[in-house]
Amino acid sequence: MTTWKELLDDKIPAEMGKLIDTYEAQMELRKQGKLDEKVFAESRLRKGVYGQRYDNGQRHDGVRTRELHYSSDEVVKGPDTLWDAPGMQRIKIPYGGLTAEQLEVLSELADEYSDGILHITTRQDIQLHYVHIDDTPDLMRRLAAVSITTQEACGNSVRNITACALAGVCHDEVFDVSPYADAMTQFLLGHDDVQDFGRKFKVAFSGCAGHACGLVKMHDLGLLAQTRELDGEAVRGFTVFVGGGLGTVPHQAKVLAEFCTEEQLLPLTQAIARVFARLGEKKNRNRARLKFLVAKLGIDEFRGLVEEELKTVPPDPRHTDYIPKVSDFVNAPAKAGMALNGAPLPDGFAEWYATNVYKQVQGGYSTITLNTPLGDLTSEQGFKLADIAREYVGDNIRLSVEQNVVLRWVADADLPAIYRDLLAIGLGDANAGTIVDITTCPGTDTCKLGIASSRGLTAELRARLIERINLLPDAVRDLKIKVSGCFNSCGQHHVADIGFFGNSRRSGNHKMPHFQVVLGGQWHENAGSYGLAVGAVPAKRVPDVIEALTERYVAERAEDENFQTWIKELGRKEIKAMLQPFTKLPSFEEKPDMFSDWGDSRVYTIDDIGVGECAGEVVSLFSMEISRAESTHFEALLALDEGDYALADENAYKAMVQAARALVRTKHLDVGDDYNNIVDEFRTRFYDTELIYDRFAKGKFARYLFNRHKESPARINEDYAHQIIDETQLFIENVHTAEQRINGVIVS
Amino acid sequence: MITTLPKRLGVKFSLKQQPQLQPDDILPIFQRWIQEGRVEGMLIDVIDYKHVPEGPGVVLIADEADYAYDLGDGQTGLHYIRKRDLPDDFAAALALVFHCALQGARALEAEAPEDLRFNFSSVKVSFFDRMNYRNESAVYDAIGGAVAEVMTGIYGAEISISRVYDDPRRLLALRVEAQSDDLDLADISRRLNASRQTV
Repeated sequence: MTTWKELLDDKIPAEMGKLIDTYEAQMELRKQGKLDEKVFAESRLRKGVYGQRYDNGQRHDGVRTRELHYSSDEVVKGPDTLWDAPGMQRIKIPYGGLTAEQLEVLSELADEYSDGILHITTRQDIQLHYVHIDDTPDLMRRLAAVSITTQEACGNSVRNITACALAGVCHDEVFDVSPYADAMTQFLLGHDDVQDFGRKFKVAFSGCAGHACGLVKMHDLGLLAQTRELDGEAVRGFTVFVGGGLGTVPHQAKVLAEFCTEEQLLPLTQAIARVFARLGEKKNRNRARLKFLVAKLGIDEFRGLVEEELKTVPPDPRHTDYIPKVSDFVNAPAKAGMALNGAPLPDGFAEWYATNVYKQVQGGYSTITLNTPLGDLTSEQGFKLADIAREYVGDNIRLSVEQNVVLRWVADADLPAIYRDLLAIGLGDANAGTIVDITTCPGTDTCKLGIASSRGLTAELRARLIERINLLPDAVRDLKIKVSGCFNSCGQHHVADIGFFGNSRRSGNHKMPHFQVVLGGQWHENAGSYGLAVGAVPAKRVPDVIEALTERYVAERAEDENFQTWIKELGRKEIKAMLQPFTKLPSFEEKPDMFSDWGDSRVYTIDDIGVGECAGEVVSLFSMEISRAESTHFEALLALDEGDYALADENAYKAMVQAARALVRTKHLDVGDDYNNIVDEFRTRFYDTELIYDRFAKGKFARYLFNRHKESPARINEDYAHQIIDETQLFIENVHTAEQRINGVIVS
Repeated sequence: MITTLPKRLGVKFSLKQQPQLQPDDILPIFQRWIQEGRVEGMLIDVIDYKHVPEGPGVVLIADEADYAYDLGDGQTGLHYIRKRDLPDDFAAALALVFHCALQGARALEAEAPEDLRFNFSSVKVSFFDRMNYRNESAVYDAIGGAVAEVMTGIYGAEISISRVYDDPRRLLALRVEAQSDDLDLADISRRLNASRQTV
């Protein structure tokens, strides 16, 4: 019987084939128990082969926790990760650029190895879910045969390099960044200097400062196109940003270099990577991203280290070999450009044109965005979309960071026809980039870290908003909603007008899915500023919260006032008061549906907690005490708004101690009010015993308290105040979760 | 004669007409099936794709197979896709997949007795394996007879068979129609059980 390896042998680049063969051999060694599970896990992750929810062999079915007995129960593909459990395959699509042939192969793979769905991520990757690990080597070979690699798609490596989907066709860009993103992808893939990171490293390119597109300010390394006149000649280069990132505590990137020339781009990146590999945290994963190193050293010291390192980077022809070919980079139409010719237009065309069509800088051409619900495409849509691409745009297909497909270089005269063709395959929905076009991470559907159903909420919001879209004022239509299933920021909730991240609260003896509301983030200006959490509301009340917020925004905003400004003007006190009615928690008996998540009929749970003892007054004491901590946290937010950063720090610290005290008092009522006693008791009873440990973040959140308690900050500024407030929020969430686990009579 | 088993094998029964029951209503049913072990297999989770036009709809994921309340081809139906642990013999494999699809469809009918009805005399059989079963007429010609033989045995009636998709990129799928006005599902089940016991 022929194998894919034999069939595709002459189409797979030798180096890629060798890496896949090695991986397949490692799989065999792991199955035989001859390769350490942790070593194999990192190797697997670097091939984009990820774990998925319930791969530890346990799932709560809404009534009880079930053991999932996979065929080879004894074999694991990583710690607590069973071999036969379905997993996720992440596939890197550099700067989101796809050919029609690649789209066809991806669609074939979704059919044969997954569940028929191609999922577009916020990093312009494609993900396939419910993939068996045994299928992954052939899956990779079939991708390699069309020049796609999954190498370093996950793990402590350089992730998919992203870029604006409009690069090369945009009115505002300085120049097309695509060839530079491509060159950096090729240069860094498998490079020796990027193999020893403590954590992942994310890179983004943007062609202009004003729009969102590349989101360079929220990346480990962000590159913003610039030109400068040097020696009388206009030369291309980049403003270099480092140390940005979302995650649990978002950091805005700092400017490392106002301008680096295109010749300096790759060696400078190499130097940054070498400094990160050498000095970045390795033991504590929670502090290992570049943003922590930059924050710890300060940008000036970090810059100095990079400049010194740059002197040691050995010459490499690849640093500049690509530059003469930049102008040849494929960015050309498949057909001659032509204006719309006055022919009758199909129904719905005008609405679609208004939101989904971007007039390119090149006359006679447009770029169109396919509003792709929840970033999902079927394999059948993939095949038909490849046909449409071939007919109208050739290989000019891109994926966007807003989880949509983008077709570039559509001749304007073809717009009605391509609209009809897209409608026929279910991809002709209008409203791309509007409030209905919501970004979401996988959440509890498939992610091991998910706390609440981000996809369920997004599907619900999308359906409701589409019903009302024509009634919404423009100011509301243009808002961005982004949803994450947990405090990590895969849904990019920090840079939305209205963001949400999943958490949970208890009411009586049950847990209820919640979403923390994050307001006032800025998508434009490359993720120019981050929103802050203003309060948690039950998941089932989120649609009401959006309605209340948007109605009030429309009623009270000044002419042309944008949402961020309005939120800032409104102030946290007023926002908190507005959210208050939605935060009331009914009992399970009163409103059982509130105890199920969106798109999930099970009674909500996030872990498999058994029936414990001593609820009653201890729990109510905890509730009272933790609410004090939350109030103090809110005071910190107000101080931040007023620019009193020292007070913000003082209140944030106090809120953490109060939260710790709330938990300590469930075991030791007489702990008193002395901060040292509280922190010592907390450490002994909950940290040293690992009772406070989050399943994935371990003791990270508790260490926020310990670090602040150990020493006052050397300098207090706005960035620092933001950070400590975010850390406090996370610590309070951690205490809530731990209390539920430790003390609760939790039945769901 | 089919000697190489496909990597995955699927059987889909379509509904006779659109029911009152909406895809939204299927999700709690599948969740309950997991609690009750209502259908065969190690049931893991339910995933909701009903937002995707003509997609897999709502899918009950199991270790060995997926049960999808499938919206594909503009025909809502129950699509059972066996992913692993197929018997070595093709006839037995197809009988097993047909049996599980039938069991799943009948379990769904029981959830909405007045409303949701499948057309059991027509079935789509899909080969999820482009290495060994490309969607080409030569492949169809080579395997059509073997599939027809197995399906005739299952239905206990004459059948007609045709290729579903012309597009060579799509999966090879066969439409099998039983030429009988009064199919007896109990008889079909007996034949399937006998076939499985023989294996």
